[in-house]
Amino acid sequence: MRPAYIRQQERFGFVMITPSMLFLFIMAAFPLVMLVVMSAFRIDLTYPAGNRWLGSGNYLQMVHDSRFWHAIKVTAIYTVSTVFLQVVIGLALAMAFFRSFQGQEILRVSVLLPMILAPVVVGLAFRTMIMTPQYGILDYISMVLGFGSKPWLVDPNWALLSVIIIHTWQWTPFAFLVFLASLHALPSDPLEAALMDARNAWQRFWHVLLPMIRPAVVIVVIFRTMIALRAFAAIFSATGGGPGTATEILNLYTYRESFNSLNLGYGAALGTALLVITVVISMIFFRLRQSKM
Amino acid sequence: MAYQRSLGWLKELRSAMVFSLYVLMILVWAFPVIWVILTSLKSRTEIFTLPPTIFFKPTLEHYIEALLAHDILQGIINSLLMACGTTLFTLIIAIPAGYAFSRVRFPFRDRLSFFALLAQMAPPIGLIIPCFLLLSRLRMLDTYGGLIAVHMTLTVPFSIWLMITYFQDLPPSLEEAATVDGVSPFNTFLKVVLPNVWGGVGVTAIFAFIESWNEFLYAVVLTGSKTKTAPVAIFGFLAAEESRWGPFTATGVMIMAPVIIVALVAQRHIVKGMTLGATKG
Repeated sequence: MRPAYIRQQERFGFVMITPSMLFLFIMAAFPLVMLVVMSAFRIDLTYPAGNRWLGSGNYLQMVHDSRFWHAIKVTAIYTVSTVFLQVVIGLALAMAFFRSFQGQEILRVSVLLPMILAPVVVGLAFRTMIMTPQYGILDYISMVLGFGSKPWLVDPNWALLSVIIIHTWQWTPFAFLVFLASLHALPSDPLEAALMDARNAWQRFWHVLLPMIRPAVVIVVIFRTMIALRAFAAIFSATGGGPGTATEILNLYTYRESFNSLNLGYGAALGTALLVITVVISMIFFRLRQSKM
Repeated sequence: MAYQRSLGWLKELRSAMVFSLYVLMILVWAFPVIWVILTSLKSRTEIFTLPPTIFFKPTLEHYIEALLAHDILQGIINSLLMACGTTLFTLIIAIPAGYAFSRVRFPFRDRLSFFALLAQMAPPIGLIIPCFLLLSRLRMLDTYGGLIAVHMTLTVPFSIWLMITYFQDLPPSLEEAATVDGVSPFNTFLKVVLPNVWGGVGVTAIFAFIESWNEFLYAVVLTGSKTKTAPVAIFGFLAAEESRWGPFTATGVMIMAPVIIVALVAQRHIVKGMTLGATKG
């Protein structure tokens, strides 16, 4: 028999977590199960009479759906390039600032702003005042510098580049701040000694600093990949997935299929695909962290 | 000597470069925001003047137009209600959970806290499809309760984790005296522990509020004419009239204002909270 106070502790612990666990089971775990179940049905809100069990029908359709594979490709390009750019730029800036960092306050507020602003406002601002040909400030600067006006959001290739720029602009500060914090957290004596030993700047970076902050790099990659896979509002408001399907990441395709075409069954199958991708990637990351740290 | 001098020269060059980089960074990250604010204060013709003007006679006409003619006021009120409701209910269920996960021993503790972490990874687009169907069956589309409940799926997991880190920082002896005195565990939590983490509660509340205030995907699917939030309203408004930059930027400033004020006041805490998971992990 366990002592009474331990039983009291256990009971107390369960009581304290019950509301939030119950909430997450009902509002997160259960809907995800429901999503997978829904993906086995035909659920078309525009023609409810035709709704029926399909089994793997939606998935067979998906395998032959070129728009799905296109969305996967766009998602991969978008995720890999935004995460890569954030890490490289964030790291470079953190390196440049970590020893002579004055006027921290202004810079910290400036880099904090993009991250906490509503993505829909960010997307719309880029679509109008920043990337509109001629009148958008970015296009104007490009013209003044002699690069000429660019079809930022109109041309399919440019549009994909533009949404990558928008995401990178909004989230590089996160990588910068994390790298800055971890550089400051390094023990200074071994760091100084190692920096003295290194022969040139490249060695200092590659053989001294990078190995020391590799854990931070891994974490930033994990965090930012998971967030990039959730991206929606900024792209939706900047391009709506267009022109055509040029910037249609899987999230946007799923949204359009579910809530524009009101084809919830197929939408659920696409959502399940996204869920599987998310789970697989986080499992890979989980392994990566365990083995390297 | 010459070597020393050249080193000094290099050092100066280096600090000059760092300084220009510093200015460039502020320009790149703060300028779009400043530009939105400036545009919102320009007259209609001034907005489309080339080259763009920096000095001009400010006007509030776009703010008045946005508030009166475009339903934005209602959107802001709705957003405020949603964000406050989400924050309040999130704190009520997440703080006790964070406390139990960090300072109370009970079976399955680690597995359950890991479940809270997993819930955070669920793709929103995968959640919204079943939630849409559920809420429409329950006749809860276009209600405050419906969107608040769904917003809480975003805020509860990270609030639990933030609170865990704040509770963990407290000394382990905190509860001992109270337990010896025979105070019940819940009263100990409420009267002895909680007063020590008000700062953490404040930071958690800020994050929950911003998350709900900015959220777009759930709001655009689940709200209708009655409970439309400000981000949904601004989107619908600009989709209809692409060239009305004045009222758009004015609305954008009104959506950004609370967040910018919070950023100015609590920037240290926000940066810490944001990088917490990354630097501690």
